Amino acid sequence: MSEGLICNNISKKYKDKEVLHGINLTLERGKIYGMIGRNGAGKTTLLSIMSAQNPQTVGTVTLDGETVWENRKILDHICFSREIIPSAGSGTLGAMKIKDYLKAAEIYYPNWDKELADKLMQEFQLNKKDKLGKISKGMLSMVTIIVALASKAEFTFLDEPTSGLDVVMREYFYRLLLEEYEKTNRTFLISTHIIEEAANIFEETLIIRNGELLLKENTQDLVERAFHISGKAEDVDAATEGLTRHHEEIIGRGKSVTVLLEAGESIREGYDVMIQPVSLQNLFVALCGIGEA
Amino acid sequence: MNEILTQEKSIYLQISEMIENDILRDILLEEEKVPSTNELARQYAINPATAAKGINILVDTGILYKKRGIGMFVEKGAKEKIRSRRKEEFSKVFVKRFLEEAKSLSITKEEIITMIDKEYSKRELTETE
Repeated sequence: MSEGLICNNISKKYKDKEVLHGINLTLERGKIYGMIGRNGAGKTTLLSIMSAQNPQTVGTVTLDGETVWENRKILDHICFSREIIPSAGSGTLGAMKIKDYLKAAEIYYPNWDKELADKLMQEFQLNKKDKLGKISKGMLSMVTIIVALASKAEFTFLDEPTSGLDVVMREYFYRLLLEEYEKTNRTFLISTHIIEEAANIFEETLIIRNGELLLKENTQDLVERAFHISGKAEDVDAATEGLTRHHEEIIGRGKSVTVLLEAGESIREGYDVMIQPVSLQNLFVALCGIGEA
Repeated sequence: MNEILTQEKSIYLQISEMIENDILRDILLEEEKVPSTNELARQYAINPATAAKGINILVDTGILYKKRGIGMFVEKGAKEKIRSRRKEEFSKVFVKRFLEEAKSLSITKEEIITMIDKEYSKRELTETE
């Protein structure tokens, strides 16, 4: 039996358009995963398929070998706290009070921690009688965070939980997340566009590009094999000969490239070039920026 | 442990360096307990696995040791160990880089020695003031 949450060759088509192409992915227990990808890369679709809120066109999703789709027993262990869009369903969600939204979550998730939900409501200074359609984007994010944390699901997915939150709240969210992770060792998969802040939280990073899983790797290991090389164009070319060059930029006689070294590869020595480390955010731009595949 | 983390260097290396810096500056004393992995994770908002990796480097190099069920402690003689290793790195890394930069500016050995002498006497002056 295969342990963990496994996507086997997942593809998804909306009408004629294929948005996910043959994704293979294993989430092990007890890790915080980060998922980054540009708008429209397929992140939300993948999360909704992994939590059986949306059927895949091809492939299987299993938890410890058991299929996830329409499997109540398995779904008790998976929470995908979606972004709340108050206008969805011709506004029915917008007319719902926060307390009713949380009540629905309480009924849905068997391990619901009401005490934690109440505590977070207070700490976020939310008013339970407010309607979802009347609160700010940041407050909607807080509600999705409460659902995710209080669900106590073994596998919990958050889709851009920090969107609309101010910098203080974003930092507070990551501390809450680490605290919960420390206590329970639950598995979290979190998508975000604010990469710089989150990079240190993620044990592993997944990069989704154009409906494909470009890579999944320990975040520190990944950043360690990325380098920014700059100098005179011919020196940069010579130093990186045979390597895949990303994000080439030429200014006059100067040139800069980003490389991601594979096992056995190295930057050639003996050339007058600057070699600098690269942050996860810069690496992401180099791999997924405009003009890259 | 009050330094701030930068994005451009491995976080676990920064964690181990910060602990070493604290030992060098007597912020952490020998035979004293260092912050736990979870404490570090919370303080710096980093993944506990990354914090653990930073701590483990120091265990492997004999700077910290583990007391089962209690936590990590600074090894006796750790400060001297860090100092002598950094001294070695100083000549291997700093001095090498320094000479490379001098070479690219066509600064001669004699000029460098004059510069160092001058800088030293300036410091001696301010120290005696």
